[in-house]
Amino acid sequence: MPALEIDRLSKSYGTVQALRDLTFDVHAGEIFGFVGSNGAGKTTAMRIMLGVLAADAGEVRWDGKKLDLEARRKVGYMPEERGLYPKMKVADQLVFFAELHGMTKADARAAVERWTDRLGVGPRRGDAVEKLSLGNQQRVQLSAALVHDPLVLVLDEPFSGLDPVAVDVMSDVLRERAAAGVPVIFSSHQLDLVERLCDRVGIVRAGSMVATGTIDELRATGEAPWLLAWTERTDPDAVRAALAAVPGVTTTAVPGRTDAAHVLASTPGAEQAALRAALAVGDVARFAPDLPSLADLFRDVVSEDDAASAEGSAA
Amino acid sequence: MSPRGPVMLVARREFATRMVTKSNVISMVIMVVAIIVLGVVGKLLLTDDGAPQAMRLAVAPSTSELAAHLEVPAAPEGGGITVEELQESAAHAALQDEDSDPRLEAWITGDAAAPTVVFEQDPDPAVLALVEQAARDVATARAVTQLGGDPAVVHAAVAAVTVSVDQVVEPEGDFDGGQWGVAVTIISLLLFALIGSGSMIAMGVVEEKTSRVVELLLSTIRPGQLLAGKILGIGAYGLFQMVVLGGALVGVVSALGLFPDLDVDLGAAFALMIVWFLLGFGVFALLFGGFAALVSRQEDIGSVTTPLMFALFVPYYATMFLVPFQPDSTLTKVLSQIPLFAPFLMPTRAAAGVLDPWEMPLALALTAATIPLLVWVSARVYRRAVLHTGGRMKLSEALSSSKG
Repeated sequence: MPALEIDRLSKSYGTVQALRDLTFDVHAGEIFGFVGSNGAGKTTAMRIMLGVLAADAGEVRWDGKKLDLEARRKVGYMPEERGLYPKMKVADQLVFFAELHGMTKADARAAVERWTDRLGVGPRRGDAVEKLSLGNQQRVQLSAALVHDPLVLVLDEPFSGLDPVAVDVMSDVLRERAAAGVPVIFSSHQLDLVERLCDRVGIVRAGSMVATGTIDELRATGEAPWLLAWTERTDPDAVRAALAAVPGVTTTAVPGRTDAAHVLASTPGAEQAALRAALAVGDVARFAPDLPSLADLFRDVVSEDDAASAEGSAA
Repeated sequence: MSPRGPVMLVARREFATRMVTKSNVISMVIMVVAIIVLGVVGKLLLTDDGAPQAMRLAVAPSTSELAAHLEVPAAPEGGGITVEELQESAAHAALQDEDSDPRLEAWITGDAAAPTVVFEQDPDPAVLALVEQAARDVATARAVTQLGGDPAVVHAAVAAVTVSVDQVVEPEGDFDGGQWGVAVTIISLLLFALIGSGSMIAMGVVEEKTSRVVELLLSTIRPGQLLAGKILGIGAYGLFQMVVLGGALVGVVSALGLFPDLDVDLGAAFALMIVWFLLGFGVFALLFGGFAALVSRQEDIGSVTTPLMFALFVPYYATMFLVPFQPDSTLTKVLSQIPLFAPFLMPTRAAAGVLDPWEMPLALALTAATIPLLVWVSARVYRRAVLHTGGRMKLSEALSSSKG
């Protein structure tokens, strides 16, 4: 199965530069999480991938070739702004979308039956979409993205508005499609979900990709500090003084905690010396590498973003 | 998939979603039934008024000579004059008998060459004129006989007189009410169909924008294909309505023989109306589709459809007033060639039979040639504007922005 390549996309709306040289790949069989704060350019990038918007520069390739109209019929797309015909029956419009993607009517009917059942809206096939609850409309929207057995999946916020059961079904579907070799890219603000589900993550800021990699790779980019926590009986000042005396470590306070400190070793093994020094003056409750969550990584990026935009406005 | 595939898919969806709604089926049935009922009622009313009754006159024995000069045999559609002989008392009774049918109009007494006409009350000038002519004929016949001639020969000679009419100034078109009625019916149907289809297209375009389904559609098909499919589908539906309603109208009129004196070939007028509906639809549908993409909400549709409605009503009223009063003036001829006016003016003038032979082919060609131009402009506006949300997009903006 071929990969999806996003190559130096640029796009501006008037004076606002929405994307600048946005570049990343989604490998075959991989779930790629696309995160970034509101207005970072995720939706613009996805719209360009689907040809709904034209890029000012750059291109999107699939299987080494430009992702043109013909190839886009093989893509499953879930736009950020959900869209279905409100007065049309669920099955009728899913068959219509499947046919637009090049399926025959008979195949389309069978696929609609399969996907609506799987996503739990089978009994509503004969109802107009506007009669469904928002959650069920969302499931129909997902069916529209999946019904033609897409070879690429581009989903903008697929989990927003779903109940936990639907989130599980959706997660299974994404894993299953990826296992079949389909490159899957989705955006989400539910970072715990992204962390759990994605093989790789890309963090986009102000229209550029600022970090890509597996969650572990992203964590490894910074030197992870060790968290050293002590018991209640231990005198915090004594521990801090002892830590300060250990060569090769920098100690910083943990925001919001008085019973712990971050220990950053600048020479290999220096953190072990810090542990021994702490044990010499008190009891240690916990000592472990403090790996940042995706949310922490994301916050770092966003704060850099704020700093960058503050600089920008100052200049 | 060939590029025609998605266009036909979109067209089929547009057609099907409109055809199968209950409201559509009900309204079509109601309209066809209404046309048939109106036709039947109209037939009854027209027939009641229509057949002229025979005029009933009576003569006294002294004036019985007049009867031969008064009597006119009834034509197949009615009319004619019957004459009977009555004594004075019977005549007076008959004149006052309100129940008799037909009623006795007058009783003629006195001398045949100098009669007295007795009415129930008010003298009828038409009857007086008839009697006067008959009395003169009697007087002439008597005089001819006296002079030794044959009254029959004189009568035949007089009957053979014919008068021809010629005019120095030709009348401005031979307008007649029946043709005008047909013309107004044709263009009203055309207006109805164009407004109906135009609004449907505008609402369809905005519905897709409002529901944002357009984004999903545009990920698989080109904007031009989407617009083309929409116009084809709604056009087919409009044509279907036009054929059903117009066909019902023509069918009812000819089946019931409603306007026997009408000097218009209804079938041909109907066929021309369909041709011009297609062309007019091509012009206006493209404008409606392109313009509607400029707005994002149903509430804002009015701001783009109002100018287009105006563009429909102006040619409609122009046709209503120009065709009867100056069907072949220079102004009318020039307007007839303008694509926005032609769909209204041309079929109407054709029905009135006032076209020069070159006019129809030229107007057809000009209007048909405008359509590709409008396709280009509308597709351009549509492509630029269809993903635009928020307030109304300016036309100039949609036309000029270089990248969607």
